[in-house]
Amino acid sequence: AKSDAGLVTCGSVLKLFNTQHRVRLHSHDIKYGSGSGQQSVTGVEASDDANSYWRIRGGTEGECPRGSPVRCGQAVRLTHVLTGKNLHTHHFPSPLTNNQEVSAFGEDGEGDDLDLWTVRCSGQHWEREAAVRFQHVGTSVFLSVTGEQYGSPIRGQHEVHGMASASAHNKWKAMEGIFIKPSPEAPGGHDEL
Amino acid sequence: GRDFYKILGVPRSASIKDIKKAYRKLALQLHPDRNPDDPRAQEKFQDLGAAYEVLSDSEKRKQYDTYGEEGLKDGHQSSHGDIFSHFFGDFGFMFGGTPRQQDRNIPRGSDIIVDLEVTLEEVYAGNFVEVVRNKPVARQAPGKRKCNCRQEMRTTQLGPGRFQMTQEVVCDECPNVKLVNEERTLEVEIEPGVRDGMEYPFIGEGEPHVDGEPGDLRFRIKVVKHSIFERRGDDLYTNVTISLVESLVGFDMDITHLDGHKVHISRDKITRPGAKLWKKGEGLPNFDNNNIKGSLIITFDVDFPKEQLSEEAREGIKQLLKQGSVQKVYNGLQGY
Repeated sequence: AKSDAGLVTCGSVLKLFNTQHRVRLHSHDIKYGSGSGQQSVTGVEASDDANSYWRIRGGTEGECPRGSPVRCGQAVRLTHVLTGKNLHTHHFPSPLTNNQEVSAFGEDGEGDDLDLWTVRCSGQHWEREAAVRFQHVGTSVFLSVTGEQYGSPIRGQHEVHGMASASAHNKWKAMEGIFIKPSPEAPGGHDEL
Repeated sequence: GRDFYKILGVPRSASIKDIKKAYRKLALQLHPDRNPDDPRAQEKFQDLGAAYEVLSDSEKRKQYDTYGEEGLKDGHQSSHGDIFSHFFGDFGFMFGGTPRQQDRNIPRGSDIIVDLEVTLEEVYAGNFVEVVRNKPVARQAPGKRKCNCRQEMRTTQLGPGRFQMTQEVVCDECPNVKLVNEERTLEVEIEPGVRDGMEYPFIGEGEPHVDGEPGDLRFRIKVVKHSIFERRGDDLYTNVTISLVESLVGFDMDITHLDGHKVHISRDKITRPGAKLWKKGEGLPNFDNNNIKGSLIITFDVDFPKEQLSEEAREGIKQLLKQGSVQKVYNGLQGY
C-alpha cells in the first residue's frame, strides 16, 4: 500500500508535468493577444521556474481543509501562486490550434464556476507518482498539450488548451513542490459541526 | 549516558509536538553562531541534536527509555545540521528574520510564498505541520557549460585609424551542472497566538539558480474562519442564544473551548438581549508571551416564544412581572 505521504493534498503547491510533451504547466503576467485576452497559460521545459507553481484548493473555502488527500473525481481549483489567478477555460479558440483556450482568471484566488477541474485518476486518491487528467467541470474538456510552440515574446513555450477527448496529451504528473503531509488527526474540531 | 529529556527540558511524558517545540526553541538559542563566546556552545548544540534525534523517533525513544543512551543500537549519526535544516532551511543560521546578506553579484533563485491555512484550534494550542519539499538542485555533471554571460564592448581595428565597436555576449566556462530533484521533510511550526499574515521562512528552500544561490521558501499563515469563535487580536468573540425564560430566571451552561475544555457560565440575574459577558483569560494566548491570554466575550441574544400567548397567559405574565408601560422613544444610533 502507498504511504499517505505519497498523496497530493489540498493546500499543497506543485508543478504539473505533461508526461507526453515533457513541459510544466505555466502562467505569467502576459495576456493572450487573441481570444479572451486573459492571462495566458503555457507549458515550459525548465524545472526551476517559479511561475510554474500551482496551489491545490477545494471548490469553495473550507471544502478541502489543509492536508486532506484529493480524491479521484474531486473537483478542485488550481491557483497560480505568483499571480493569484485560477486555471480556467471557456468557449474561446486557442491561439495556435483552435482548440479551447485555457487561461488564468480571477483575482486573489477568486474567479468563477469555470475554474473547477475534476481530477481524473484510478484508485481512491490522487497519488504523487501517478499521471492524472484534469477534466473541466463546466465544459468537459481535458487540459492538454499537443506540442505547438509560441514565437516571441514567449518563444519555445507550448500551447496549453482544452480537448474533448482523453489521450496521452492530457496526462499530468506532480513534480516539484511543497506537499503538505496528510494530518494524522483532523486539523480542527469544527469540521464535524 | 546523557539525559535527553533534561537537555530538551521536557517531561518524560512529552508528546512529539512538545519535543518538536522544545527543539525548535532551543536550537535558536543554542546555535553556536549565536554563542560565539561560549566554548561549550558546539557541544551543547550537538547534545540538543542528539536528544531530538532520539526522542522524535518512537522506536529510538522506546529503546532509550528502557536502556538509556548506551542501549541505542545504531547510535545516532545524523548530522545536527541536517536536523536543524528541517526546521529552518539550509542556511538556517540566519536568525530572527535578519535577511541573508545580499551580495548583488550573486544571482538568486525565486522565493516561494506558500499560504498555510491554520485553524483557530491550532492558533490556540499550536501545532506542527509536516511538508515534503521536492525541489530541483544543481549537481555537477560531465562536461562544461557557458555561465555568467554578459554583454561586452569589443573594439576591432579595420584599417589605419579606423576602429569598429561591437557589442557581444561573453560567457565564462563553468563545470556543467544538471538539475536533479531532491526531497526533504520540513517542519513548520504554528506557534500559539500566531497572527494572520505572519511568515515562517525556510532559508534556501526556494527555487535554485544554477549560477548562484537558491531563493527562500516562506509559509504565510492564513487563519481560516471558525464556526463558533471570531478572533479580534487576542480576544475571542462568540454568541449564545438563550430562551426568554433563561434570560429572566438565570441559567447554567458550558461552552466547549478550542482545546476541548469547558468554560462555565452561570447567571442568576436577568440577562438582556445584547448583554455581554467577559471571561478574562479565556481568549487566545498572546504571540509574544503565551502566558498572557486575551478575553472571551460572549454576547447573548434571547429567543422569544413564537406561539401566540393565550388570554390567560397574558394576564398571568402581567401579574407576575408587574411592569408598567415604558414606551420611551429615543435615538438609539447617536451617530453610529
